[in-house]
Amino acid sequence: MKIRKTQVAITLGVMCFVLVFGIRIQLKTTESLVTTAGTYRENGLRDEVLRWKEQYDRAYEQLENAEEQLEKERQVSISSDDSSVEKQQELKRINTYLGLTDVQGEGIIITLRDNTNSILGIADDIVHDGDLRTIVNELKNNGVEAISINGQRIVPSTAITCAGTVIQVNNEIVGSPFVIKAIGDQNMFNNITRPGGFVYSLIEDYGLNVKVDRSDEIKIDKYNGVLTDKYIQTVK
Amino acid sequence: MKKGKGIMTATIGLICFVLSYVMFMQFKTVEETNITQIENMREKELSEKLANWKEKFEETDLKLQQTNEKLQEYKQKRESNQEASELLNAELIQAQAIAGLTDVKGDGIIITYTEDENSELGKIEDRHLIELVNELRLAGAEAISINDQRITNMSDIINVMIDGKEFILVNRKRMTSPYIIKAIGDQKYLESALTTKTIGFATRYPNAIVEKKNNIIINKYNGSIKIKYAKDVVKEEK
Repeated sequence: MKIRKTQVAITLGVMCFVLVFGIRIQLKTTESLVTTAGTYRENGLRDEVLRWKEQYDRAYEQLENAEEQLEKERQVSISSDDSSVEKQQELKRINTYLGLTDVQGEGIIITLRDNTNSILGIADDIVHDGDLRTIVNELKNNGVEAISINGQRIVPSTAITCAGTVIQVNNEIVGSPFVIKAIGDQNMFNNITRPGGFVYSLIEDYGLNVKVDRSDEIKIDKYNGVLTDKYIQTVK
Repeated sequence: MKKGKGIMTATIGLICFVLSYVMFMQFKTVEETNITQIENMREKELSEKLANWKEKFEETDLKLQQTNEKLQEYKQKRESNQEASELLNAELIQAQAIAGLTDVKGDGIIITYTEDENSELGKIEDRHLIELVNELRLAGAEAISINDQRITNMSDIINVMIDGKEFILVNRKRMTSPYIIKAIGDQKYLESALTTKTIGFATRYPNAIVEKKNNIIINKYNGSIKIKYAKDVVKEEK
């Protein structure tokens, strides 16, 4: 009996020692992590980013209001002038073309997902910025009238880029699943999904999870930024 | 003795549980710390984001001022139809310039991109031109053309085979090398974006030569814009 008691005591002691040791290591790691991180400057930056974003949001809201008022004012000012009414319609059309209005209509929706079941995890089976550029280009080739990727409207200033591991559209981060909406003739479905085409090869050759759907009613939001004309002058 | 043993087992069990729990907590903390560390490494990214929001704010603020000015002008000139239509004209001209429906001029860069069929790097396909346009847009180009085809919001650039030969079509028009790409915008941005070490387009493809040029003229798109399927969403009155 006495031997057993000693045994228990020793086992207990060893266990306690191991556990305490484990905790000590953990504590040490935590400490070194906290001290190496320059959190102060980071937080300052983050606050500032938020502040500017807020300012932008506020300015954008005001801009939307002002534009709405301007639209009404235009309406009132030109209502009695036929050529002006025509010009105003042209202005509206151009704004739609530029991606500055919310639009709806028939079209297709392409959904791309990174292949998360991949065993190898190689670069082939995730969606790349180049893939999105190619699809957008193909949609344009099919005569679509409005495109968005995860809510980001494609406008003349749109760049689709990749910084490290994230993809950005209009300087905003977008991630998998990538939902590309396009308004135009639904019959482009056959062309987009044709055997040997780009979407087909993404599925067959790269094992990406891609879905293409037709839809009778797609809504695409307008660009929530501003198109600039600081450097261009109209040649008369 | 039996009772004592029971209590002891219970005590040991409890101690073990508490210790394991504390360890678990520690592990969690370490994990979280790791995340913050990653965030800390993104200082550069944060600065970029900051610059980005600042720029967006400034652009929006400027546009807001312009819109408010226009609004004021419309209000002042409400009595005279003549003048209101002049204002509308000015707005239309601005929108047309951005959309690529009029000839525009300004300072920018010209890229001469020549095909070299003998080297792998020298081949030029649609994707190269798409990438180049993408980089120019990222650098803030306000007007772009490839061999005088204006790049609009809906321009396409594709490879095609015609009589066994590969061609690139831009706006459905056939192009041949050398490709002359004109871009109007901030000259410094445009040039440095394309010539940045390792990632700049002209750095990766040495047969693309970048030149700064003032008073570049970029022709208008000579097609028309068609809107058939996209209907404006009508806002409900509040």
